[in-house]
Amino acid sequence: MLRKYSNHRTLSDNVKLGALTAFSAGMVNVASVTVFFAFTSNITGYYAVFAQELSKGNWYQGAVVLLWILLFFLGSFLSNFVIVQGRGRWSQYISHAIPVILEFISILFVGLYLDFFYSNSLQETEFLVAALLFAMGLQNGLTASISNSVVKTTHLTGLTTDLAILVSMFSKRQNRQNKALVDKFHLLLTIMISYVIGGIFGGIGYLYLANGTFYLTCGILMVIALYDFYKLKRVKHLFDRRHKEACPA
Amino acid sequence: MSRDILAKMNYIFIALLLIGSSLVVMYHENPERLIQGEWVEKEWRLEKDNGSAELASNSQLQEGLRREILRDFEELHLGVWKFEENRQLQSADSTQNSKIEWLIKGRGHVLELRKDGKQIESFQIQQISDDKLVLHLNFDLQVKGIIEIVLERKDPSDQYAKKI
Repeated sequence: MLRKYSNHRTLSDNVKLGALTAFSAGMVNVASVTVFFAFTSNITGYYAVFAQELSKGNWYQGAVVLLWILLFFLGSFLSNFVIVQGRGRWSQYISHAIPVILEFISILFVGLYLDFFYSNSLQETEFLVAALLFAMGLQNGLTASISNSVVKTTHLTGLTTDLAILVSMFSKRQNRQNKALVDKFHLLLTIMISYVIGGIFGGIGYLYLANGTFYLTCGILMVIALYDFYKLKRVKHLFDRRHKEACPA
Repeated sequence: MSRDILAKMNYIFIALLLIGSSLVVMYHENPERLIQGEWVEKEWRLEKDNGSAELASNSQLQEGLRREILRDFEELHLGVWKFEENRQLQSADSTQNSKIEWLIKGRGHVLELRKDGKQIESFQIQQISDDKLVLHLNFDLQVKGIIEIVLERKDPSDQYAKKI
């Protein structure tokens, strides 16, 4: 799911990565709206809100929105920076897992802060939302980078456009037989559905788990980060066993 | 100018934006501090109304209609809204002892009211300045639209007059 890059990725790799990351993004977004009244994956909207606040002369609100956009930018930057700079220095899997670990830390920090330190002040709210936007930036930067921009999971404007284009293309019979188009449709549909289901889980989860919703998201991120680690270990174990069977000492 | 320099300038520009916006968020006057104090209700209006033309032309809500719409929000008939520093909302002319907690959320554009830890209402802060506060109450009861509540900061001289 994480260790392969660009065109070496299979549809299954992208579907698994897209489904799990979109699910966690949906959860985080809905939990954030519930707790902070602020979206964490609505960058297009925030650009508009930034312009609107500036036009109204609301400098504080404008600065808040600018900070959020910059934190998302920083997350995406850092994600790709680690991948680019890590090439040749450490394994591809490590490069791709680091952004997930950083995202895990950011979301865990928000959950712990809410549980033990949060006093409901506005300033805390702004910085916690910024931390979540940083996490979403990391995630979107990672998925887009390693999948050649095929998988983008934190905001669905582009995805909905691509889905609409595909659906219109399927009005022609030959396109319905085109495996690449059908595969892309399945991938986008999976991401969209996962995001919505994640959002529903986030909403319902918050009723029962409250801030535990953020820990649940951390659990999903751990699955993403460790899935390939487990697979690599298993493959190595099987290889060692066969090797021992083939040439006993 | 070489691309190396442009790239470095790009990083510096982003860093400055990040530091600048963080400083504004930390030190600039924010809605949480601005809202503290006493505010007097001046107007209740129905905005973006899709009801009768008569009502639309005269968006001033009648007192009876206001009560009808807000019968579920008895706590909000405050008259004078006193936002205390400890996040308690008091009404100067209220006899009830119910404690309402006020919180500012989002980017400083949402006023949330809680009672016993549970949200009872949330408003969009449409405008906030030293002397004027405009709140939008969104709800979907029998009337489609937005209730706009206009408040003005209580005249400090009035408080002084009361004191003496």
